[in-house]
Order: sequence, then structure tokens, then C-alpha cells
Amino acid sequence: MRYPVIFVIKSFLIYLKRRRSLSLLQLLGIACGTAAVIGMTLSARSALQSFTDAVVFLQGRATHTMKRTAGPLDEKIFAELMHDKSVNRFSPVIDRKLKLADESLIRVLGIDPFLDRDIRPEIISMGFAQKKLDFFLDEKAVFLEAATAKRLGLLPGEEIQTFKGPLKVVGVFSNPSEEPLILMDISHAQDLFSLAGSVDYVDLILNDEAAFKNRWEKGFQIKSSQQKAQTFRAMVRSFRLNLEALSLMALLLAVFLIYNTTMFTVISRKKDVGILRSIGVSRKETILAFLVEILILAVLGGALGGIAGYLLSFFLTKIVGGAISNLYFFLQPAFPDWSTFIVVEGALLGCLAGILGALYPLTELVRVDPIEALRGRAPDRSGTKKAFNTAWIGIFIVFVSVIVFIVSGRHVYAAFAATFLFLLGVSLMTGIVVVFAEPLLKGFLVRIGGLSGRIAAGNIRQNLGRSSVAVAAFTMALGMSIGLDSMIGSFRESLSWWMGTQLQGDLYISTASELEVPLDFYKELMSDPRIDGIDAYRRAEIEFAGKTAYITAIRSHILKKFTNFAWFSGGDEHWDEVTKGDIIVSESFVRNFNIKPGERITLKGNKGPVELRVAAAFYDYTTEHGLIIMDRNRYIALFDDPTINSISVFIAPGNPQREKITETVRQMALKRGLSVFSREQLHNNVLQVFDSTFSVTRSMKIMTVIIAFLGIAGALMTLFIERQRDFGILRSLGFSTGQVSAMTLLEAIGMGVLSFVLSTLVGTVFAFILIKVINLRSFNWTIFFYPHWQPYLTAFATAVLASVAAALYPIWKVQKTYPHIQMREE
Amino acid sequence: MADKVVRVADLWKYYDGDSQNGVEALRGVNIEIARGEVVALFGKSGSGKSTLLNLIAGLDRPTKGFIEVNGKDLRMLDETRRTRMRRTEIGFVFQFFNLISTLTAFENVHLSSELAKKADRAKTKEILASVGLAGMENRYPHELSGGEQQRVAIARAIIKEPLLVLADEPTGNLDTQTGTHILELLTSRCREGKMSLLMATHTPLASEFADRILTMVDGVIREEFVTDQPRP
Repeated sequence: MRYPVIFVIKSFLIYLKRRRSLSLLQLLGIACGTAAVIGMTLSARSALQSFTDAVVFLQGRATHTMKRTAGPLDEKIFAELMHDKSVNRFSPVIDRKLKLADESLIRVLGIDPFLDRDIRPEIISMGFAQKKLDFFLDEKAVFLEAATAKRLGLLPGEEIQTFKGPLKVVGVFSNPSEEPLILMDISHAQDLFSLAGSVDYVDLILNDEAAFKNRWEKGFQIKSSQQKAQTFRAMVRSFRLNLEALSLMALLLAVFLIYNTTMFTVISRKKDVGILRSIGVSRKETILAFLVEILILAVLGGALGGIAGYLLSFFLTKIVGGAISNLYFFLQPAFPDWSTFIVVEGALLGCLAGILGALYPLTELVRVDPIEALRGRAPDRSGTKKAFNTAWIGIFIVFVSVIVFIVSGRHVYAAFAATFLFLLGVSLMTGIVVVFAEPLLKGFLVRIGGLSGRIAAGNIRQNLGRSSVAVAAFTMALGMSIGLDSMIGSFRESLSWWMGTQLQGDLYISTASELEVPLDFYKELMSDPRIDGIDAYRRAEIEFAGKTAYITAIRSHILKKFTNFAWFSGGDEHWDEVTKGDIIVSESFVRNFNIKPGERITLKGNKGPVELRVAAAFYDYTTEHGLIIMDRNRYIALFDDPTINSISVFIAPGNPQREKITETVRQMALKRGLSVFSREQLHNNVLQVFDSTFSVTRSMKIMTVIIAFLGIAGALMTLFIERQRDFGILRSLGFSTGQVSAMTLLEAIGMGVLSFVLSTLVGTVFAFILIKVINLRSFNWTIFFYPHWQPYLTAFATAVLASVAAALYPIWKVQKTYPHIQMREE
Repeated sequence: MADKVVRVADLWKYYDGDSQNGVEALRGVNIEIARGEVVALFGKSGSGKSTLLNLIAGLDRPTKGFIEVNGKDLRMLDETRRTRMRRTEIGFVFQFFNLISTLTAFENVHLSSELAKKADRAKTKEILASVGLAGMENRYPHELSGGEQQRVAIARAIIKEPLLVLADEPTGNLDTQTGTHILELLTSRCREGKMSLLMATHTPLASEFADRILTMVDGVIREEFVTDQPRP
């Protein structure tokens, strides 16, 4: 060895082996934090890639899509399109959903194979490689997507059972998104869905967008393929952002953990540093050796986290795909491909976290006074002073975070940054809280543990450098847990309240995201005098002010009679205005487009722009993009679209025939293959979707608790290793192994309980931030704060259980080593 | 003054504040140590011995006063130069040995010679043998007795052939017999290598091995006398 620094590095690295349990905890902490970020990033990336593949696959070579603002368009326009100079190619499409015999839904694309071969040649050639002629001649002939065919065990020539009768599979084709999909001839699709003379949209290859738009924009929406893709991406933007913020939160905790263990490393190495400095090793050399140690852990932990993150992404991809499908559009993301770059990415992330976590401890290392260090490891008398100084910095950071919250307007990224700042600021105040809480903590621990409790409380206070960081990390994790649970609980409660105001039907036939309800069925129900009210619900996606929004058509006089909408202001008199032709808008629409009741908006009707007055705004959780509600008559007049997505049946309260009527209607609907839900069933379905949407959040929450657990376990190990000399003194005084074990356990419980108490405050504020700032800015809706005790109880149980679990290994070490510990000066 | 390795004049050191509020560890110390001279610095615990040694080693900065080591005014040296000086010109021996616990005896000693850019593995082995540790090179500190650990510390201090060895209570943690052996070893090696030695101690035993004895009381050197015992 030619360089002295190699000796220094070696002398440091041996500690990794000697204190392997601590090294392992540190390694796992980095790995967990990295795994959370890598797992989430891979899942989000995979979801986005699968989505892009699906869009590219289905849009083929089309440059634009043309459709009505809402509802189908008349095929009479084909003649004009055929002669339009700006159109190179066009292909009409029927795009609908069909229910299969096993109750699952499948997307049906009706296309004209001749017109479509220039738009989607790959799909056409895949399908036509098989029974080409049957596709044209047999009205039941379809090409079936390969994964669905496999799932249903169907081969070409066999029949697929649907609620609209059997269809004959004449060929299969593969679809990269694996979305269940059927291709059929457009004329057969028109027959199947009773859409004679109409199509849903036309895919186009244009050579002159401006000229085409100039001619066709009146009454039609013309969107380029890029715009379509951007619209879809924008739809999931808030969702992705929230997931990524959660994973970053896990990484933040990992940084805490690294800080915790690194700080310990510095403290326990102070004497070595003192010796090295006294014999002529420079500060730079000790810092280099220290960095090498941290980076080895960071690279190994990060790489391990990369691999764990990759494995985690399989689980996350599935639930992210499920959540996006539930909330936005069908998405079955492919699992991410393995790449060694994932390990590199993990290692780099680990290094970043390692360096961030080591920054402050490194400054401590620079400040090590060799003379003090050589005197031994006397307790740090400046602990309280330092805690005060740190608390002042924390208060300043919290103050800055409040300023950022106030001045950042509606910017969600700024809100996230402010939240991080808030959590950081509060965590810096932990030390001073430990100082002030000591008397209470001592009282509590003495009560449950006597003398051992008294010493345990003193140890927590004396080793402020270690205990406060562990308490901070655990407080953050528990606080996040309380905050997220409270937010989810409040959201769930708000949703239930909202369903109670809007979804008051006795029966719901079909749902907005499913199929169309046949018009003759609607007419059949309307002719039944026993039914007190029927609402025909139509929901259409539109583009408004360059963004996605939705229009819903309803029967306003029915809703006035049977529902109890939650208005921003005013009451049910707003329905009279809707009946007269005004519109009402959701809170998300108000916030997204900055349009208030009383103002007017312009929508593209089939016959040109129409100005509509916003009569009122109401609370709504169906979409974060914005919802316009208008009367069905007004809607049909504007868009010529009589389609019905769902029917609500209302029976007047006290109607003696209530059960009989609902059962009759249910049977009528089932006969037609339509889904039927009672009010309770619909409410439960909505809540189920809600719960599944938050499964990712829950996974991330568990991850943060694991990381914090590792943090508290690390702190306990640290205290155990550092206190060997104290143990010698305790033994000489006659402390039994049991008492020392109890002391170790009580230290853990003390830190856990302290963390819990602090987390109740942090968690409540965090919940408030999530509800009043983050959610409002991300999703444009108000969640009402409903305090629940369950999140606090869960946090308490987690705190106690995690603390006890974290104490188990140190207690085992105490049991094993304490009886042999000698009192030593060194 | 080439023959004077250490010159200290009117050296004061206050801890935690000024002369009004702080603790006065040193109060106007003046000493000079000649090349190859062995000086024993007696004094009770807290009398300022260690403070003086730390100041001479450049580990600490005086409140006021002048320190010169090998002709270099420490006031003029920045942290890097002080570090360089400790690497090459000063050896340290501590009461609690202060070996790096994760390095073997050989590595502890070799590290010092590496720092002084005088690394020679054969010489490291030779030095260890000369302090009576032949065959123990690969042992870690916890595998050695107190006396053996102090021998490693002495080897570490002298391998780089510094001009000055500072020893802070080198026998304070050893029994009398081992302490005597260590003092004998330390002083003889310093004399052989023409290294000056300043050892802070409170054991009277040290007087038998020193050329000159200083006594420190409450931060001031009170007595100074030269011994006339025959030296090994």
C-alpha cells in the first residue's frame, strides 16, 4: 500500500464488518428508499410506455381524428371527405363497448377494411392473413385480440358469447396493450349497436391541417394524434405526480436513516479521527475515507434497491394499471423489462441519498476537535444548545414553507416542495421537543419500568444526537401514515356524503363507463306508469379551452325532485334554470377553467358555437377535469346525440309497490344484458374503486414505515454499541441482565411513544395540507376534513410494535454479552 | 536556533472564554528543549501538561504566546502545514495508547511511516522487533496487553524519526513494572535516534530517565532542574 489514505480507508471499512448488524440496517434502509423510487418510476414509466404503444398501435398512421363534440357523426359527410383536397386517407370507426357472457367488457372497433388498410395496415394484414372473406360476409365475424382469445380459450372458428348474441372469431391479432379488443366490419358493427348511418369518429391522414380545419371546424372536433396523446397524458398527470411524490417521501426517509447512521459513524469514529489527526492525517484524508465508507454502503444499498425496486415494480405496475383503468382509461401496462441500467440507476440514487444524508455528519467530521476526541467519548454537552440552534433553523424552514404555500397560488409542484420543506423543518425541531418532553417521558417510563425506565429516559435525552434523528424519522413516517390515512378517510367520507346527495336512484341500469342503454328500453321504462321518475344519463368527453372536460346530459326536473345536489350556493331552484337551458358546472370545472356561476361559456355545438350561462356550481368527485351538466333536451338540441349511458330509476318514498317495481325493472334490464345496481350496490362499487385507487398509496405508506422501523432499530443498535462502557458500570453496580434488557426495551418504547405523540401533530397538519392544498391543487376538488381516530390508533400500534420489534435484536445482544461485559476505561 | 527543537515563550491558554470568565489552563509558560534532550514534565492532573503538549503539537491554538518547533513559528502555519509538521517532525505517545483498533500492530506503525513518506516494510518490522514485538505484527490492538499496545504506540511515534516525541502520561495506564520498561524503551529509543522527548507525567519514576525535570502547577512552570544520573 503506497498511500496512507488507504490505511485510513481500511481502518474505517473494517467497522462495516465489525458492526455488521448496523451496516445491514443501513444497507436495508438505503435499499428500501431506493426500491420505492425505482419501483414507482419503473411502474409509471411502464404504464406510460404501454399507453403510448397502445395509442400508436390503434391510431396507426392517422394524423388526425374527427368527431362531433358529443355523440356519433353522420356518415353522409364521407362523400365530402372523399373529395376534400386536404385528406389523403380517411377511415370511419365505430368505437364501443360490448359485454361478454362472463360479464367482462370488451372494446369493439368497427372499421372498413378497405379504407382502414392505409391507416392501420398492420392490424388489417394480421387479421386478413386468416379468413378474409368471412370478415366481409358474415355479420357475426370478428377478429379477436390474442391475449383475450387466450384468456377465453378461443380459437379461430369458435364463437365468443356476448350479451348481444354470439360472435364468430375468424382471426386473432396481437395488441401491445393487451386491451381486450374486437375488430369487425363497420357495417356489421353499425347493425350490432343500432347505429345505422352513423359512426363514432373518422381517422384521417391529412396533408394540410390548417385548410382542413378551416373547412370542418364548425361542428366538429379535429384533434391531431399528438394532441390526443397529450390529452391522455394530461389526464393521468396528477395521478402520476402524487405517486412520484409518495415515492420521494420514502427516499426522504431513507436519507434520514442514512443521516442517522452516518451521524453515528462520525460520533463513534471521533476518537479514531482524533488519533489520525494527531499523527498527521489531514482532514481531507479522513473525509475521503469516510466518504468511501458511505459510498460503498450507498452503492451496494442502491444497487440492491434497484433490484428490489424492479421486483416491486411488478406489483406496483399491476395496481397502477388497475387504478388508471378504474379512473381514466383501460390500461394493462406490460411489466418493465430487466436492464442492468436499473442497478446502475439504483446505485446512483443510493449515492445521491447517501451523500445527502452524509452532508451534515461530514461537517461534524470536519469540525472534530482532535484534543476533545482523544479525551474519549464524553457525552456531548453542546447537545441541548445544538438542539435549540437546529430548532431555530427548523422554525425558519417551516416559516418558508408557509410562505411558499401562500404565494404559490395553484401550483401543485410548489405545494409539494412546501410540504417537503414543512416536514424537513418539523423534523429539525425534534431535538428540542425531546429535551422539553424529557420530564413527561421520564414520568411515563418510570411508571412502567421503574429504575430501568428512569435510566432509559435519561439515555434518550443524553444521546440527543442519535435519539432525536431516530424520533424525527419515525415521526415523519407515522405522521405520513396518519396524514395519508386521514386524507383517505376524509376523502372516503366526502365521497359517501356526495353519493348521498347525487346518487339517490333506487336502481341504476348500466354505468357511465360501460355500455349504451338501448333507446327502446328507455322508452319502455318511460311508458311504465308505476315508475315515479327516470333519469337518462349521457356522459361525453369534450375538449374545452384546450383541455379535457365532460358534458353530462340529465333530466333536470327528475333530479330536482329526487336528488339533493350539494351546491356551492343556493338550492334546487338552479334546476329550473337548467331546465330553461342554462348549465351547471362541477367544482373541478370552476377551478380548472376559472369560470364562476353567472358567467357564460361557449361550446361547439353541431351547428356551430353556442353560448351557455353557468347557473350554478356543485361539489363533485366524478372527474378532476371538469364536468358540465345540462338538460337532456338542451343536449340533444346542441349535439344531436340521443345516446344514453345509464338510467336511474326513482321510486317515490313510501310507494307500497317499491320492491315489486324495482324487481320488475331489474329483470327487464338483465334480459337485455344490462348491468343493474341498487343504490347500495352502486355506492359500494364506487367505494371499491376508490379503495383500489389508493392501494398504491397504502403500499408506499407501508414502505415508509419499514424504513422508519429500520431507522429506530439502527438508533437502538447505535446506542447499544456506544454504551458498552456504561453497561460495564451498570453491571458493577449490580444491574441484572433483565434490568438492562428492560432499559433497552423502554428506550425503544420511549422513542416510539414520543414519535407517536409528535406524529399526531405532524400527521394532522400533513392531512390538512393534503386535503386543503395538495388535493385541491392536483384534483380541483374539495375534500371535507372528517377527523377519524383510526389513523391515530393505527399509528400508535405501529409505533409500539415497531419499537418493540426494533428492540428485539439489541435485547438479544444484551442477553448474550451483558453477563461478560467488564468495566473498562477504554 | 537549530539546537533548540522547541521554544515556547509566554504561552497562555484559556478555555471557554477570556481571562475573566474562562478556565486558565496555561499562564505564561516558557520552555526550551534542545535536540536529543529528554524532558519530564511533572504536574498534577489538570495542571496544564496535556494542554502544553497539544499546543506544541499544533493540535490546538494558544490564546497568546509564541511556540516554535524546529525553527517554525506555529502562528505562521496554517492547518495543512501543521498537519504536515505532525506527519514528519512530531511523534505522539498517549496514556491510552490510542491505536487504531481496526488496524494491526504492523499497519498502525506503517501508517505513520507512510504519512511521513518514509514507508519501508522491512523497517517497520525491524522497529516492531526493536520494541519487543517481533512476531506480533499481525495482531490487532485488542489482542495485545496494555504494555504491548504502548510499545506499538512508541514504534509508531519513532518510526518516522521525528525531531520531537511528545508523550502524554505514557505509563499512566500501566503497572509499575511495565511502566518502567516502557519509559526505558521510550527514552533509550529517543536518545539513540537523537530525538527530543517531552513527556508529561505525574509518576516520579520518570525522573530517573529524564535529562531535565520541569514541574507545572496551575498552568505555570514552577521548578526546573537538571538530573545528573548516568544515562543508558
